[in-house]
Amino acid sequence: MESGTKLKAQQSLASTQADKITSADKNTFSHLVLDGKGPIAVEFMSYGCSHCGTLEPILQQVASMLESKVKIFRVNTETEKELATTFQVEATPTLIMFLNGKNVGKIVGPTPTVSSILTAMAQPFRGFS
Amino acid sequence: MRGAKPILLFNDECNVCRRISSWVQKSAKTKSGEATIIDRAIGEDPEALKRLSPNLNIWDAYATIHLLMPNGSMKLGGEAVAEVLRNIPKTKWFAWTFAVSIFGFRPFQIILNICYAILADMRPLFGCESCGTPGFWIKPIRRMIKWISGDRRTKLLSSSPL
Repeated sequence: MESGTKLKAQQSLASTQADKITSADKNTFSHLVLDGKGPIAVEFMSYGCSHCGTLEPILQQVASMLESKVKIFRVNTETEKELATTFQVEATPTLIMFLNGKNVGKIVGPTPTVSSILTAMAQPFRGFS
Repeated sequence: MRGAKPILLFNDECNVCRRISSWVQKSAKTKSGEATIIDRAIGEDPEALKRLSPNLNIWDAYATIHLLMPNGSMKLGGEAVAEVLRNIPKTKWFAWTFAVSIFGFRPFQIILNICYAILADMRPLFGCESCGTPGFWIKPIRRMIKWISGDRRTKLLSSSPL
């Protein structure tokens, strides 16, 4: 139990240190997302949502794979209710894709696998180079 | 660290966790009314949790019960429950049993771990939307409850409604 606890703590620390997703709030959203150039994906999530917890490591993996192509941000719907309302987010996790600041696609409760996230994210950006 | 108390982190978005936490809050008091355990909602700020304990990850905190000990160590799941029971005057008379070891096994702690795992799996049955998809053994029970209560929608969500 003790060694398992330690291992879990180390994994947690490692996963936090390698956070590839930047958090956005109502003050930074415009600058980071709406004024952003190129493809951007925003995950609307909350820490208390277990589906978001399942998706988190997958999204981290996708973020490091797409680092140079797609920027990924997260918005916490518990603290940013206004943003959630603005973008009609009714459940978490929801991924909204923006292209040059324009909303081009939305996925609610994506299947938490790297391939399905990559496919779902790529679809709205198809044709963009 | 003198006078420091264990801190029980609980999921404020889950009915079951909130009720258990409020029971702990009421029960974990000495005769003089001093609290023996501090309850703290996990909240939404990962950095605030890190300030509490540098190794504490917010996702892990929501996944299982965490008890931060005054010496900085962390107890999880059934171990945390046992420690909480040791700190409650009403329950500490039997909580010593969880430390009883027979040939390296702690039978009562093992039973408690199993009970905790069952309760954690059952939280979605009690309306906890933030506790995720129910465990495989809970799904038929959940369907039955929904069917009896007239809600025939048995679709299992892959997202939590806001």
